[in-house]
Amino acid sequence: MSVSHTSWTAKFLAVVRYEILWNIRKKKFLGMLILAFALSTLSLALGHIVSALGGPSVEPNPDFVIGSNVGLGGFGFFLFAIVTVMNTVSGEFESGTIVPLLAKPVSRTTVFFGKLFAAFLTLLVTYCFLMIYMTIGGFVVYGPQNNLHLVPLSLLGALFSTLIWISIVLFFGTLSRSSLIAALAPLGIWLGTTIIGQIVGALAGQGWILTYIPGTGNSGFANGGPPSQFAPTGTAVSTGTDSIGPNLISYILHPSREVTFYKINIEEMAHGQPSWVALYSEPLSNIVLMSIAVALVYFIVFVAISWYAFRRAQITE
Amino acid sequence: MRFVIETADLTKKYGPLVAVDKLDLKVKTDTIHGFLGPNGAGKTTTIKMLIGLLKPDGGSVSVLGQELGWDKPDVRSRIGYMPELPKLPKHLKGRELIDIYGRMYGVTKEERKKQIPKLLDMVGLKERGIDLIITYSKGMKQRLGIAQALLNEPELVILDEPSLGLDPVGMVEVREIMHEIAKEGVTVFLSSHLLHEVEQVCTHVTIINKGVELASGTLKQISAKVKGPVTIEAEVDKLSKAVIKKVEKLSFVTGVSKDGKKLLVEVKTRDDVRSQISQAITAGGGIVISMDSKGKSLEDVFMDLLVKHKRKKRSQ
Repeated sequence: MSVSHTSWTAKFLAVVRYEILWNIRKKKFLGMLILAFALSTLSLALGHIVSALGGPSVEPNPDFVIGSNVGLGGFGFFLFAIVTVMNTVSGEFESGTIVPLLAKPVSRTTVFFGKLFAAFLTLLVTYCFLMIYMTIGGFVVYGPQNNLHLVPLSLLGALFSTLIWISIVLFFGTLSRSSLIAALAPLGIWLGTTIIGQIVGALAGQGWILTYIPGTGNSGFANGGPPSQFAPTGTAVSTGTDSIGPNLISYILHPSREVTFYKINIEEMAHGQPSWVALYSEPLSNIVLMSIAVALVYFIVFVAISWYAFRRAQITE
Repeated sequence: MRFVIETADLTKKYGPLVAVDKLDLKVKTDTIHGFLGPNGAGKTTTIKMLIGLLKPDGGSVSVLGQELGWDKPDVRSRIGYMPELPKLPKHLKGRELIDIYGRMYGVTKEERKKQIPKLLDMVGLKERGIDLIITYSKGMKQRLGIAQALLNEPELVILDEPSLGLDPVGMVEVREIMHEIAKEGVTVFLSSHLLHEVEQVCTHVTIINKGVELASGTLKQISAKVKGPVTIEAEVDKLSKAVIKKVEKLSFVTGVSKDGKKLLVEVKTRDDVRSQISQAITAGGGIVISMDSKGKSLEDVFMDLLVKHKRKKRSQ
């Protein structure tokens, strides 16, 4: 049999093929895909369901597709990251398949980045389908849509947001060699930043710190007037890595927007009259830049540590 | 190249446990070299260091003339490796796996198209190549593991317990495959704890226990290392005292006993002395019906070496 001098690309693509076949045949991935389409369908049909139950009739919404964030949003990105890469490295160690794989004439760097690229491709194709589905559905349900040229940006934003979680899942998976830890540790981070962080941030007025951690980030309101008695007005804006797509689109459409951040006044809340106190304002452009910078730093740091650990891993399995 | 595998003082530790202890392994080219030892002897650890899956704590490794550095995959393109009870990705089909591994080895598309069915046929998986590996039995996975190890026409094939999980027919087939690939000039390094397998297949053997090399060489050389008489068993018609006396007079005979029609002759040499014994029996008036040398089997040698090693350890 003739063995050619294999180029790095050929080996890399062989790893990508190996990984993609794994990804698309995973039951949990297929389950997540069905769930994502089900949730997208629900978000499309929700207006009609409410209307059928006696609620207001469905009004045309030309910004539905642009605001849909691929029909997923933060938790969707997180879940897709988990199901795509929780076994990518740790699963190979757990099942022992890492032994025949690393016994091939392929460097560990090629294997690692081939796997990462396969996750990217899997998500790209999945999100493309979801975006097409949401676009067609948006037309059918909410009428003609505005700014459709920004749909690819929304797609890229969603991919980038998911890649942050992917780097975190890979990090825990590579270091622990356990799929369980690869899934549970990021879940802890997600719960901490999204739920606990949001509550603490809103009550203590220290939400700014959420700007520097992955996930939802700090929440403020753009283009709003003075806060009403019960809640601020305007468009809600999140600073976190999960909102890169919507924030980018928002910035392109309204480059001079200012975002105001609030805290809840607990003392008045005790008297039955909660009030929101404006803390600080920031241009939307700053928020977009910051969220992209933070996302890049997280991605590079987590991927670099995972790659280093994978390269040095001793295969005792 | 005289040696395809050469290690010097190769050492691997897991915490306080020394899994491989200053191993000097030398595997000559064009041989079937058995790597024999009980479970936990350090065979798989040694192999993983040869492949580059484990980093040695000491010593050096050279495979196919190349010093093995960490994550230097080039030399692996000339090696075929079948791990112990190969854990193959169950989400792939047998044929897909071989194809992907072929791409990693750089086997051209045309060659893959031609060779993959041939390899699957050789290991008896031609009909099952289109099925997912998750549906394979243990033996089928083992066969697929052998097929993927031969994919790149390697110069050296490392097989770690290839018969594990196979039925007797499968075991015989694996041995035949080993003979076939050895005939084509491929060096086979066979790790096994099955003594009869090593005895039947290998030309050279290295025996290790607890990471320490106990003996290495051809089967004959290893047998010679273990002291102890060789018994020649002769079935004799008209077995008389005269026959016994004639045999006892032979210089290399250390003892003679009678067991019915059988004459048991203990000799101190490992040369083939059956013709001299036969002449002595005939001179004494007996008629030789059959004669067989009952020298120490590899199993006896192996057990002797293990016992000696244990005693040595205890006395230290």
